Amino acid sequence: MTTLAILIRHRIRRDRIQIPVWLASIAALLLFSALALQDTFGDVTERTLLVRLASANPAIMFIRGVPQGTGAAAVLIFTVLAFLGVLVGLMNTFLAVRHLRAEEESGRADLVASTPAARAFPPLATLLYGLLVNAVLAVAVAGCLLLAGQDPAGSVVTGLALAAIGVVFLTVGGVASELMPSARAANGLAVGAVLFSYLLRGIADAFGTVSDDGLSVESSWLAWLSPIGWAQKTRPFTEDTLAPLLLSLAAAGVFVGVAVLIMARRDTGASVLATNSGRTTALPTLAGPFGLAWRLQWPSTVAWCVGAAAFGVFGGSLGTAVATSDLGNSPIADQLARLSRGGDTLTEAFISVIFTIIGVVAAGCAIQAIVRMRQEESHVGGELVLATPVSRDHWAGSYIGIGAIAVVLVLATGATASVLAALTVGAPEESIEDSVVAAFAQLPAALLFLAVVALVWSVVPRLTAGLGWGLLVLSVFLGIFGALVGLPDWTAELSPFSHSPVPSGADTDWSGGIVMAGLALLAGGAAFILFRRRDVEST
Amino acid sequence: MSTVISAQDLRKYYGRTRALDGLDLTVTTGEIHGFLGPNGAGKSTTIRILLGLARATSGSVTVLDRNPWTDAVALHRKIAYVPGGVALWPTLTGGEAIDLLSRLRGIDDPVQYAARREHLTEAFQFDPSRKGHTYSTGNRQKVALIAALATPASLYLLDEPTAGLDPLMEAVFRRELSAVVADGATALLSSHILSEVEQLCDRVSIIRAGRIVETGTLADLRHLTRTEVAFSLDGLAEADLRDIPGSHDLVIDGPRARFTADSDELVDVLPTLAQLRVRGLTVTPPSLEELFLSHYGDLSTDVARQTRRAARHSRVGR
Repeated sequence: MTTLAILIRHRIRRDRIQIPVWLASIAALLLFSALALQDTFGDVTERTLLVRLASANPAIMFIRGVPQGTGAAAVLIFTVLAFLGVLVGLMNTFLAVRHLRAEEESGRADLVASTPAARAFPPLATLLYGLLVNAVLAVAVAGCLLLAGQDPAGSVVTGLALAAIGVVFLTVGGVASELMPSARAANGLAVGAVLFSYLLRGIADAFGTVSDDGLSVESSWLAWLSPIGWAQKTRPFTEDTLAPLLLSLAAAGVFVGVAVLIMARRDTGASVLATNSGRTTALPTLAGPFGLAWRLQWPSTVAWCVGAAAFGVFGGSLGTAVATSDLGNSPIADQLARLSRGGDTLTEAFISVIFTIIGVVAAGCAIQAIVRMRQEESHVGGELVLATPVSRDHWAGSYIGIGAIAVVLVLATGATASVLAALTVGAPEESIEDSVVAAFAQLPAALLFLAVVALVWSVVPRLTAGLGWGLLVLSVFLGIFGALVGLPDWTAELSPFSHSPVPSGADTDWSGGIVMAGLALLAGGAAFILFRRRDVEST
Repeated sequence: MSTVISAQDLRKYYGRTRALDGLDLTVTTGEIHGFLGPNGAGKSTTIRILLGLARATSGSVTVLDRNPWTDAVALHRKIAYVPGGVALWPTLTGGEAIDLLSRLRGIDDPVQYAARREHLTEAFQFDPSRKGHTYSTGNRQKVALIAALATPASLYLLDEPTAGLDPLMEAVFRRELSAVVADGATALLSSHILSEVEQLCDRVSIIRAGRIVETGTLADLRHLTRTEVAFSLDGLAEADLRDIPGSHDLVIDGPRARFTADSDELVDVLPTLAQLRVRGLTVTPPSLEELFLSHYGDLSTDVARQTRRAARHSRVGR
């Protein structure tokens, strides 16, 4: 028993920053959404408008979920539950893999298994610790909803529903750790399971049956195959039924059983799927720093593009719906105007908001390229490569260049997805042009992030990841959400996203974009010069 | 003989820490130069400066008559580098990493490269088809070694290159390195595996706290220390032994007596030993280990001697 206590305490200590950050982010998102929704959709007629719009548009339901009437809390659940479910799922799969497969891969598990803790206690400790985290999550979620003034029963059901998603994906992470040889592969499989589960319920919701009054939608049978779907089936604040969560418990039990069976039959460090071996010689394309950077970066670039495409589909399919609906004078229009800083028509405003988000995705992709360069320099083969006849400029230029190409690809994918979606729903041609212009307008801000983070890396390499992601989060908060929570205008001006050109037909003002592109060139040039002058810092 | 590496009064400060504190180093063409020192003495810092990965705070350095900081690219065409504790790309196979590094260095003759790569892969018994993250320490080291040896270089900068290799593979490494040096290359071999340095190196520099404290051939260095002489006591009285000319530190240890003599004056001791008709005589020149330890911290030469004796006895015992 003491062994178990030591191991659980060790896990709590190791995660003492990241798990609280996850829990606080999820709670803050929920609380923020609840307050924002009360603020903008406080009136039942406004909510009715919103729900009617959603139930008429499969794209909204694909992204969000199925509406269940016009109650304030029910609308909140409809807008955030599936999305929070993904976050909870990711928190749990990462937790499981971090304490199971990653430990075995690094060899630390051998050290622990050689003590009286043996082989069975560490996974058991991980399971108990994961359950504890999900219990805290349930309490935090219920607490936030109560704080926002919601009904107690529904609040508790929501907490339990999200925790149930968490427990299922905790065990999914456990099985992935048994199956896969590396933490990277196990995380890939488990994250794939989370996203697949979101996708399944998205399809189920999009093809749901709309009720006669158009205020609620019953998702199709596919939702029963998704752990996130089970959580939605609890219908918090309308039906408050916990029965679907029995399915979650059963699934978790089955996954634990599978993991135990595999574990009993394998060596510590071994896995069901062996590492696939690869090419013994390199393809001709892997011949220089650029080829290497592309080889290392394309998988994540594809992932960023998929994210941009999802938002693009959302924006393209909805742009028209927004324009043709009777939303013109509703709070949604106000909301959009506040988010988008203008735009001549409602459609332009809406597309501009969506592409601001795609711009954030592109900036994230840019930052990730620079963070990869830093990791190469400090932990992997950067030193080996720089000891060959490759100049500093050539090496850094490869990663920065790949970053710039990735940014263009992400924006182009977002625009293409938006155009295709708009064509599918039969949007007018000017909205297609809007998509392309809006995507192009995001390029300067994303390139500015690329160049500024590269500059940070060239001066204080250690701070690349922290400062890079921190700048992005701050810019998103100030530039996009600042106005919603009532921050003064000048704080919003600090964010590059506030200066991206807003497509307004022929009157589009490009000056902000031109200035940012110029600044990006300057920062990028400075990064090259400063990197030439400093030592290569490996740890 | 021309100079390949020349460093004078090299200093490298990281804030207040003095990684190098006036280092002088000369390596001439065609030699394997041993670079000895404990962890943190400044070996890796020196090699990173020689590669132009780090810039010296002050002092002058040339490698193959070039400035490594400003001429890194041109210089690197002639240099092969093997770091200690190689880190690989997790998603690239070992074979891909070898090809990538070799291509970056420049492959003049693809056919010759393929043959050379094949030979080295076999010699080091290396499986090039696995992903980077699955290799053990020794296998990661092999990737860098094969990449370094697969294309010709004028200068090999080797920073503890055999870390994690088994003794068999160490022998392969010694053989392959000797072969390229016999063909005219030069090598700077940083190591703390003394037997490796003893077998491979023509000259040795010992670094301590950022300075070279000793440099020369192994024979030169041996002259600076004492040789141990030991023999069976066998009826001899301690008094008979006290006045052997040139002897120091006499110890009677059970049935054996031992003392040390300056390596240069060893011949002066021998006539007396002959007169005493000592039996079971052993004369042991100082090992590199003793040379090394004599320059370091709290461990005196005496400790080294005792350690060596203990090791010898346990070998005999087995």
